[in-house]
Amino acid sequence: MSSAGARPEPSLGGGEYRPHVAAVLSDRALPATEPRSRRRPSVAQRLRGLRTNVVCLLISVVLFALPLLYLLLQAFKSYPDFLQHPTGLPHGWTFQNFTDAWQQGDFGHEMINSLVYAIVPDAITLVLGVFLAFPISRGYFKHSNALYTFFIFSGFLPGGLIPLFIEARSLHLYNSMPGYLVLTSLSGAGFFFFVGYIKGIPREIDEAAVLDGCGYIRFIFTIIIPQMKPALATFGIFGFVYSWNNLILPLVMLSDDALWPVTRGLYSFFGEHTSNWPLVAAGTFIVAAPILVLFILLQRYLVQGVAGGASLGTQGVGRDPVAVATESSASSVEAR
Amino acid sequence: MPRCLFGTPRTRRFIPWASIAIPGLGWLLFGLYPSLATIGYSFTQYSGLPGTPLNFCGLCNYTNAFTALSSTVWDAIRVSLIYVVGVTVFQNAIGMGLALLLNRRGRSYAVYRALIFMPQIFSVAVVGAIFSLIFDPFSGPLDKLLHGAFGVTSTFLGSDRLALPLVMLVNVWMFSGYSMLIYIAGLRNIPAEVYEAASLDGAGRFRLFRNMTFPLLAPAFTVNMFLTVVGSLGEYALILVLAGGQHGTQTLGIYMFTSAFNAGSAELGYGSMLAMLQFFLTLIVGGGVLWTLRRREVAL
Repeated sequence: MSSAGARPEPSLGGGEYRPHVAAVLSDRALPATEPRSRRRPSVAQRLRGLRTNVVCLLISVVLFALPLLYLLLQAFKSYPDFLQHPTGLPHGWTFQNFTDAWQQGDFGHEMINSLVYAIVPDAITLVLGVFLAFPISRGYFKHSNALYTFFIFSGFLPGGLIPLFIEARSLHLYNSMPGYLVLTSLSGAGFFFFVGYIKGIPREIDEAAVLDGCGYIRFIFTIIIPQMKPALATFGIFGFVYSWNNLILPLVMLSDDALWPVTRGLYSFFGEHTSNWPLVAAGTFIVAAPILVLFILLQRYLVQGVAGGASLGTQGVGRDPVAVATESSASSVEAR
Repeated sequence: MPRCLFGTPRTRRFIPWASIAIPGLGWLLFGLYPSLATIGYSFTQYSGLPGTPLNFCGLCNYTNAFTALSSTVWDAIRVSLIYVVGVTVFQNAIGMGLALLLNRRGRSYAVYRALIFMPQIFSVAVVGAIFSLIFDPFSGPLDKLLHGAFGVTSTFLGSDRLALPLVMLVNVWMFSGYSMLIYIAGLRNIPAEVYEAASLDGAGRFRLFRNMTFPLLAPAFTVNMFLTVVGSLGEYALILVLAGGQHGTQTLGIYMFTSAFNAGSAELGYGSMLAMLQFFLTLIVGGGVLWTLRRREVAL
C-alpha cells in the first residue's frame, strides 16, 4: 500500500502472484493497459467512451445491483398491495414491514448475538494470530518454514465440519454462546496470515527493544501490533464480515433460537413467512444493511481481504513449498 | 536459526513456545484435528446421538456408497461435476469480460466495479432470499416476465430441469466480481509498452486479445480457474438455501451436509465418508486444473 512507505505491501503471506490488489476497485494503480495519448480525445473517441460507459453502467446496475434493489422495493409494499401488484413499484410506501420483521423475527436480539459472534472471535484471532506469527516469522523454531507451509496445505485437507460437531458436543461447546465463541476464536482460520507481514518488519526493532529492556508481551502490544495496523485492519474487517455472514456453523452448532445470529434467524424467518414477501424482504434487508454500510465505508479493506485470501490460497500451491518459504524469507531480507 | 532475543537467559528458550501455545493448541484442536478426524470417522457408523455407540466398521461406508447407494452417490458426483464445470466456465468468462470492459480510469468505473463486486459480501442467507423472490413461481418478476413475453410458466427452483442451472447462475452472479478483480489485477500487471508495440504493428482488437492479453493473463487465469474450481466444489451453503439439495441439486457437499445434519438422518460416519469423497474429487479436479494450467503457463 502506498501509505506504508518503504514497508512492503501487506501481502498476507507473500508469494509469487501478488497483484496490487488494494488498488483494483479504487483507481489507485493506473491501468497500464490503456496508453494515454497526449492529444485531447476527438468527438468520435469521446462518444465511444460514453457508449462504453453506458454499457458498463447498465451491466453493473441492471445485472448486479437490481436484484437487491428489487428486494428492497418489495419491502415497502403492504401485503395486499404485493398480492395485487407483485412486481411493480409500491402503491403507497409503508415502513410497517420493517418494524414487523424486526419484532417478529427478533432481529434486534439476533443482531446483538451476531455482533458478539463477529467481534469477539475477530479480536481474539487477531491478537493470538500475532503471537503465533511472530516467533514463526522470526524463525525461532527449528522448522518454522515447514510449519508455515504445512499450515497452508492444511487448508486443503478434508472438511472437518462433522468431527467438529462431535467434538463440540463432547466438550460441551455445542449450543452455547461461550462454546461457539471458543470454537470460532480458536479454530485458527487466519492465525498464520501475519507471518509474511511480520517478516517485513525489520529485526533491528527487536534488538533495539531488547536493549531498552522491553519485555516480550509489551513488545508485541506496543511495537509490533501498531506496526501491523494495515494488515490487522484488513484482516479484522474481512473476518468480521465472514463471521457475520456465516450460516452453516450456526446451523450446525446452535439449536436454541435465543442463541441465533441474524443469518440463522433469517433462514428460519424465511421458511416461516415464505409467501409474505414484503415481510421477508424487509427482514432480508435488515440482515444485509450492516454489511452494506460496512462495504460502502470500508470497501478498500474488504477487497484487500478477499484478494489477500486469493493470493494466500494460491501461493505455494503447485510449487515447491520450500521455494515458497525461502522466497518469503528472502523478500524480508530485501526489505531490510 | 535465529535465537529469541527476549527474556532472561533462562526464560529465553520458552518464550517462543509460550507465545504460540494458545493459538497453536487451538488450531490443533479445532482446525487440524477435525480435518484429520474426518478420515477416522469415515470408517465408522455413528449417529452422534448421546448414548449411541461409535462402531468401527472398516470400509462399510465406502462399500455402501458404491453398492447399495451407488446411484445416489454417482448422481451426487455427477451433479458436483456439472456444477463445477458450469460455474467455472461461466464465472471466468464473465469475470474476464467484465475485467476487460471495466479496467478503465474514472470515478464512474470505480463505482461500477464496486457494484459488481458487491454481491459476495452478503451472506448466502441474504442472497438466497433475494433469488428465491426473483425465482418465485407465483409472484416473482421472472415468472411474470416469462409469462408476459412467451406465455410460459415454470416452477424455477422447484423444477427438476431448471433448479441446478439457476443455482449455478446465482453462484456465478455472486462471485463474478471476485474473478473480475483478479483479472483486473492481472491486466494491470501487463506493461503498457507491450500494447504500444503491438498497436504500432497494426494488430486489431481481437488479435491483440488473443495474442497478447490472453497469454499475458496466464497467471491470473490459473489462479482464477483454480480458485473457482475449489470454491464451487466446496459450495453447499448457497445450494442449501436456494434449493436444499432437491430437484437435482444434490452435490456431494450438500449430500454430506444433509446426511449428517438433517433431522432424522444424523449419519455422521456416512457423512464423513462423503466428505472424504468430496476431498478426493477436489484433489483430482483442482489438482488436474492446476497441473494443466501451470504446464500451459510454462509453454507460453
